[in-house]
Amino acid sequence: MLAEKYPEEVKKILEKYPPEQKRSAVMPLLYLAQRDGGYITKEAMKDIAAMLEIAPTEVASIIGFYTLFLDEEAGKYRMQVCTDLPCALRGADKFLEELCGNLGVKVGETTSDGLVTVEAVMCLAGCDKAPMFQMQSSEGLEYHENQTVESAMGLIEEIRRKEQFSQQG
Amino acid sequence: MTKQVTLTIDGQQVAVSEGTLIVNAAKQIGIDIPVFCYHPKMEPVGMCRQCLVEVGRPVVDRATGQVVMEDGKPKIQFGAKLETACTTPVSDGMVVLTASEKAKANQREILEFLLTSHPLDCPVCDKGGECPLQNLTLAHGAPASRFIYDEKQHADKRVPLGDLIWLDRERCIQCARCIRFQDEIAGESVLAFYQRGRATDIITNSEPGFDSIFSGNTTDICPVGALTTADFRFGARPWEMKAAASICSQCPVGCNVTLNTRREAKSGGKVVLKRVMPRQNEAVNEIWICDKGRFAHHFTENEHRLATPLARKDGKLALVSWDKALGLVAGKLADAKGEAVVLASGRLSNEDLFNLKQLADGLGGEALLYTQMGGGELTTAYGVPAGTNFAEMGIGTTILVVASDLYNEAPIWYLRLKQAAERGATLILANARETKLEKYSQFVVRYSYGDEAETICGLAKKAHVGEAITSAENLVVLYGSDGLGLDGSSALAAACAELVKSRAGKPNNGLIGVWPRANDQGAWELGFKPVADLKAVFQKANVVYIAGADPFGDNPELTSRIPHHASRIPQHASRSTHPAPFIIVQELFLTETAKLADVILPAQAVTEREGSFTSGERRAQRFYPAVPARGQSRADFVITAQIAAEFGLELEGRFAARVMDKMAATVKTFAGISYRELAETTEQWPIVGRGDLYYGGTTYENKQGLGVILALSPSPTGRGARGEGKPLRPDEDHWLAVPVTRLYDLGITVATSALLKARTGGAHILLHPDSAQKLGLAAGEQVELNGNRLEVRLDPTVPVMVALVPRSMGVPIAGPMVAKIKAA
Repeated sequence: MLAEKYPEEVKKILEKYPPEQKRSAVMPLLYLAQRDGGYITKEAMKDIAAMLEIAPTEVASIIGFYTLFLDEEAGKYRMQVCTDLPCALRGADKFLEELCGNLGVKVGETTSDGLVTVEAVMCLAGCDKAPMFQMQSSEGLEYHENQTVESAMGLIEEIRRKEQFSQQG
Repeated sequence: MTKQVTLTIDGQQVAVSEGTLIVNAAKQIGIDIPVFCYHPKMEPVGMCRQCLVEVGRPVVDRATGQVVMEDGKPKIQFGAKLETACTTPVSDGMVVLTASEKAKANQREILEFLLTSHPLDCPVCDKGGECPLQNLTLAHGAPASRFIYDEKQHADKRVPLGDLIWLDRERCIQCARCIRFQDEIAGESVLAFYQRGRATDIITNSEPGFDSIFSGNTTDICPVGALTTADFRFGARPWEMKAAASICSQCPVGCNVTLNTRREAKSGGKVVLKRVMPRQNEAVNEIWICDKGRFAHHFTENEHRLATPLARKDGKLALVSWDKALGLVAGKLADAKGEAVVLASGRLSNEDLFNLKQLADGLGGEALLYTQMGGGELTTAYGVPAGTNFAEMGIGTTILVVASDLYNEAPIWYLRLKQAAERGATLILANARETKLEKYSQFVVRYSYGDEAETICGLAKKAHVGEAITSAENLVVLYGSDGLGLDGSSALAAACAELVKSRAGKPNNGLIGVWPRANDQGAWELGFKPVADLKAVFQKANVVYIAGADPFGDNPELTSRIPHHASRIPQHASRSTHPAPFIIVQELFLTETAKLADVILPAQAVTEREGSFTSGERRAQRFYPAVPARGQSRADFVITAQIAAEFGLELEGRFAARVMDKMAATVKTFAGISYRELAETTEQWPIVGRGDLYYGGTTYENKQGLGVILALSPSPTGRGARGEGKPLRPDEDHWLAVPVTRLYDLGITVATSALLKARTGGAHILLHPDSAQKLGLAAGEQVELNGNRLEVRLDPTVPVMVALVPRSMGVPIAGPMVAKIKAA
C-alpha cells in the first residue's frame, strides 16, 4: 500500500489537488508506484484507484496511454529508442537493429544479465538529434542524443561496471 | 419551446430546434450521414471522422451585421476543410452538403483507412449481415484498397472481457462507443483504451472482468463484430433468424424486447430461441436491456420442461391425457366450490390471471396472489397516470426511492433515475443501507430496518428533504421490499401513498411498486389478494389450484406443516386430522410444489404464446409467440378456461385478444383497452431499426406496440395493511435477518442459464465486516442460520447485527425475522 509505505509523499501529492478533483493526483501517484517497484503492479493500480475513487480500468488506461508508465517487469534500465519517421530518416531503425544485434536481444527483450531492456517507442521530441533514446531507471530519465552503436554500447558497459561495483558494495 | 433554426441539407430545407447536431437534423429528413463513433444516446466525440461534410454559412457584413446578398440570395461561404456532422450544431441559413465530391471522397477514404487493419472476416463474423462497417463500406467505400494486404496488423481474436462478452481485437475500429456507454449511460467505468495508435486496445481491469449488468448493450452498439456475447457468439447468422416482439418477464420494468429464433439442425430441426434483443420504447427501456433480460432466456428450451399432464396414481405421478387431467381437476374444483383456492403469482399474464380470477369467482372461492410485497391496491389508486414518461423527468421533478435497491431489482429503472438526476431531477434515496443509486442522489435518508413506514410518514416535515417533496412540481415515489415482507411493505406503501395522494391523476406524479415479478401489478389490478398465511390456506382449503408459483420450493418448512403431504415425505409424520387439500399445479417445471401435486398441468412459457403484462408503472404491454410450444403444454388462460368449461363456466379459452376484450368490459382500470390499441406505435426519436444499424445499433424498431398506461381506480378497493406491533430489532445475541433481492438469483430462469452461474454463486448471507468478526468469521466461511448452512459474504453497507438474506437463493425468508446466527 503506497499510503502506508510513503505516507508523507502521498499526503503531499494529494494536498496539491482539491478533494473533489483528487483524480488529478493519478499521474504523480503512478510515478511513485513505479519508482517503488520499477514498474506498476496490478495491486498498485487497484490501490491508487481506491485512493482516488476512480475505476481500476481508468488507471490502467492512463498507464497504457503514456509510454513512460510501465506495467510489466523488465530490466533495471529501460533503453527507449524513438523509431518514428523523422528519427528513422536519420537512421534510428538501423541503429536499433544493430544495437539489438550487439546485445543479443530482440526489441522489447532484456539482456541476459537482467539489466537493460531495449524498447522502440513513439516520439521523444528529439528528432533533429536522432538516433536518440532515453534511459529510464529508478534514478530518473536521461536523454542520450546523436548516438552511435558504439556510444550506446559504451554507456551500457558503464552501467554494467557501476552495477557490479555497487553489488560488491 | 426552443428556438427553431432553418438550414438546407443537400438542397432540402429543414427546421430543427437550436442546438441540434447536423447529423441529427439530416436524419430527421431521411438523409443518412455515415457515422461510427457517434451514437444518438451519447455525447458526440468526433473521433472516427466518418461523418465529415461540407458546411457553408451565410456571410455576414462585419460593419452592418447584415447577411451579404448575392443574386438575391444570401452569399454562402464554405469552410476550407470539412466539418464533423456529429459535433457541429446547426445554425440559421447553414448549407450542408453530405454527398458532394469532396464529402464523398472523405467518406471513401476514411473507410479505406479503417479497412487497412480490419480482418474482413465477415464470412465468419457474428456481425456479418447487420454490421455498420460492412453496410457503410458497401454504400460509401472504395471498390478496392490501395493498401497492401500483407501489411495488415493482426491481433488477438478471442479475448474474453468477462464471462459474458468476448472481444475480437482485430475487428475493433476504436470508436469508443462501448467505453462511452459504460461511462455515460451505465455509470460503470469498466472499459477503457489501452495504448495508442494502431496498438489501441479495449481493456477491463474490473473484477470480475467487464463487471457491469448492462454489458450486453455494448454488443448492440458496437459498429463492428469486435464485441460479441458469449451467449450468441457463432450461434446463428442474422439473416437466418426470425423476429418476434416480446416483453421481458424478469422484473416489473417491462422492457420491450425482440426474440430472434431459428429452425436448426443442431436442435433436431426445432425452432429455437437464439437471442434476446432490445426493442425501442423510449418511455420504458429506450433501446437498452439488462444482462439478466438478455441472457436468462434458456428456461424455454430447458430439457426439464414439463411436456404432458401428470396425475398421482398409487402415490406416484403418472402421465395422463389432457382430457383426463382436466376432468379430474374440474371435478375436484366443482365439488370444493367455496373451499377452493386459486394461488397465482405475477409470473402469469393479465389474461391468465383474469381467467383464474373468473374461475375462483365462479366457484365462490378465493383468488390469492403469491407475493411477499403488498400495496398494490394503492398503486392502482395513486399510480402514475397516462402521459407519464421517465424521459421527461428532470428539473422540477422529485423522485423518492424507498426500500428498493433498483440496481438489483429493476436495472433499467436504475438507468432512468440516474438520467433524470443528471437532467436535474431531485433524487431522494431512503433505505436502511447504502445502494448503488445513492451516488446520483441529492438526499439520502437512512433508517433502521423496521422503521420504513414511520420514516416516510415523517419525511414531509423534515427540513430540506420535506421541502423537496412538498414543493416539487412533480413527485414520483418508487417503493420496494428491501428488508420487508408483506406486512412491512404494505404499511410502507400506505405511508408512501400519503405523499402522492393530492397529486393523483397528474402525469409524472404517483406511486410505483418495484415488484418482484413482471406482472404483480396486473394481479392487483385484476383483484387478487395477497396471502399472508400460506400455512392456513393449505390447512383450510379443500382444493388448491397453484399457477406460476412455487411456495414449497421457496419455503421447504411449509411441507411439514401440511398433514397429507408431509406423509409423502416420511420423516415429517404428522398428527393433524384435517384432510389434505387436493393440489393442482400449473407450471413450466417439476418444482418442489409440483412434486407434491395431485395433478400437474404443463403450461407454456411466455416465449411460446400471446398475452400481456402490466408493468410497475402500470403500462399494459403485449407479447407475442416466438417459438412453438413445448410438448403438449398449453397457455395458462387456455387451461383455466378448459377446466371451467368442464363444470359449465364459460371463459374465453381460444384467443388472448378476446380475454382482453372481456377484461376491458369488466375490469375498471382496463376499461376500453384492446389488443389493437396496445399494438399502436408512434414515431420515436432516435430513429433506430433495420435500416439504421450504423446509427442506433442492432436494437429493433418498435412496430408491435408501445403499450398503454392503465386508468387509475380513484377509490382504493382496499387499504394497505398497517404493520402491527413493534418493529423487530436485533439485540445482544439475536440478529435481524432481512430479505433483499439480487439480480442474479437461483430462480428458475437464471438457474437454467449456465452463463450467469458464475455471477450468481450459491446460498449466502451478507454481513458487516464487524458483525462477521464478532462471530469470528472471515469471508467465505460458513454460518448457520435457522438450520441452513450459508456462505458469509462481507459488505460494509450492511448495518451491524443485521444479516441480509438474498431471496430465491436457497434460504426461505418471507420477511424480516429475528434469528440466531452462529459459525457452522
